[in-house]
Amino acid sequence: MTGLIRAEILKLTRRWATWVVLVLLLGMMTLVYLLVGLTGGGARPDATGFVTRFPAASGVINQFVFGLGSLLAVAWAAALAGGDWNWGVIRVIVARGEGRIRYVLAKAIALALALVIAVLIAYLAGILLTMLAAGLLGGSAGDPLAARSLSGFGESIAAGTLVLLQRAAIGFAVAIVLRSQLAGVVVGILFSIGEGILSTVLLALSFRQGDGDPIATQWFQYLPFGIGDSLLAIAPGPSGNLGSLLGEPVDPGIAAVVVAAYLVAAIAIAALAAARAEIAG
Amino acid sequence: MSTEDALRDPGLAIVTRGLGKRYGSRVALEGLDLDVPRGRIYGFLGPNGSGKTTTLRILVGLIRPDTGSISVLGAPYDWRDRRRMFRIGSMIETPAFYPYLSGRENLAVIAAAGPPTPRRRVDEVLDAVGLHGRAADKVKGYSLGMRQRLGIAVALLSDPELLLLDEPANGLDPAGIVAMRELLRSLTAAGKTVLVSSHILSEIEVLADVVGIIAHGRLVRQGPIQQILAEGSRIRVRVEPAERDRAIALLAGLAPVDLPAIPGADPGLLSLRLAAGRSAEVTRILGDAGIWLQGLTTESDLETVFLALTAEAPTGHDRSGWGMAPPGDHA
Repeated sequence: MTGLIRAEILKLTRRWATWVVLVLLLGMMTLVYLLVGLTGGGARPDATGFVTRFPAASGVINQFVFGLGSLLAVAWAAALAGGDWNWGVIRVIVARGEGRIRYVLAKAIALALALVIAVLIAYLAGILLTMLAAGLLGGSAGDPLAARSLSGFGESIAAGTLVLLQRAAIGFAVAIVLRSQLAGVVVGILFSIGEGILSTVLLALSFRQGDGDPIATQWFQYLPFGIGDSLLAIAPGPSGNLGSLLGEPVDPGIAAVVVAAYLVAAIAIAALAAARAEIAG
Repeated sequence: MSTEDALRDPGLAIVTRGLGKRYGSRVALEGLDLDVPRGRIYGFLGPNGSGKTTTLRILVGLIRPDTGSISVLGAPYDWRDRRRMFRIGSMIETPAFYPYLSGRENLAVIAAAGPPTPRRRVDEVLDAVGLHGRAADKVKGYSLGMRQRLGIAVALLSDPELLLLDEPANGLDPAGIVAMRELLRSLTAAGKTVLVSSHILSEIEVLADVVGIIAHGRLVRQGPIQQILAEGSRIRVRVEPAERDRAIALLAGLAPVDLPAIPGADPGLLSLRLAAGRSAEVTRILGDAGIWLQGLTTESDLETVFLALTAEAPTGHDRSGWGMAPPGDHA
């Protein structure tokens, strides 16, 4: 198994997609922080504190790493999982007697390891860019590791990483079920966007039916992407999904369990799809 | 020999009995009975869509048969038997690789799957297929022939007892084909079994010890290559044109006599569908009748046998001469 995981890590580090995704994320972050630092917040200079001062700034980092990052993770995981099917290498692997489920699990573990490393890199970059932007504004970002924000960092990184892994697992599973990296990327992203739109529509309908009081937790907040938003909401910073933003948030503990269940389910679906697949062509 | 005995025969590397596979409504294999002897090169022949690749896919667990039994290396086998697959090396359909990795990296990541494979084996197989000099290049820059050689290298990675190669000569240059032939012969000399699926009859004719011909999912002929060739052999004789009709009448008792079909061809040329070993009979019959031969040649032709056997299509297949199965058939 370790040999398989090592081979998967070699494959993913050699793929352009891995570096393009990381550079895209870091590039976007750099651009935004530089703009904030150089323009001083533009029309709303009071807002710069939110971006350049810890602990509030960690919310913005979260938004980049786990918001934009999760969308990129879906696409990246789908591209990596679907590659074996697109290029037909899965034929060679299976014909050598490798266990299909073992192979899928090894690939998932390698992807998870790479994602955790990417999260740490992006988070560190976020802290450095916050300091840079604060410095450009002539102020200080504060101490990112100060006692009041340290636990927040740990908690939000753990929660965000779990969400990122769950979303990547969805892209991973979609690509293996559809046996195509492009289909996996497209369907994975559409799934993410589609669920957001669906949640918003269902939320609007809930409002119409209610009496204007804050609405209770809705079933659609437990959908794969919405539940991740609920978990991300434990960290400071804006949430990405209107449904979970306006509905009564799901308890973080429950959200973590549901996200983990989706993660396991996605990997299980991918493994079963690979195990049952007739590989012809 | 009963099915049970055949499936356990240690002298056979592959045995299939009643192997069947359908893709939807289309029948790809219909009761295929193969006997591949150990330590030989088995030429697996058939027109496009006849079921060759489907058979190979089943043998390496890529797809599952609907019916039938399989034995590999002397014991019953099914697609869940990963350990048995460790003893098989294969190249099914076109060789598949990660285009962004080098040839050596491809071998290394593929070697990580399946049977434990020592790291040095990667260099050994690169040497065996003559790719050492280009091993560091990315596969996306490889020619068809180089990919083919890398595909053979993958098949050899685990030093398998049984090698299944689907059209291994595809894209190889003449020197590459000769090298591959020598490589496969050296493997069988070491006791390994090689099954080569192909539609290049001339290649199989010089390579295979035993041949199996499949058409429309059924085995139509199987046996030693010399025996199969004898069925397709011809004896060509040349007599005085004035004596041609008399010679035809005399030889018609031995075998059907064909005349040259090309206008303007030598009118004294006659061709008999007869085993080469019976040329003495031809000379005796003509000599006894006072007809003196001006020439006699013998030919053994796998193509003749192949076309005769595979042209006997049951139903629903194209008879245009392209040997094409119905649309959607890629088996």
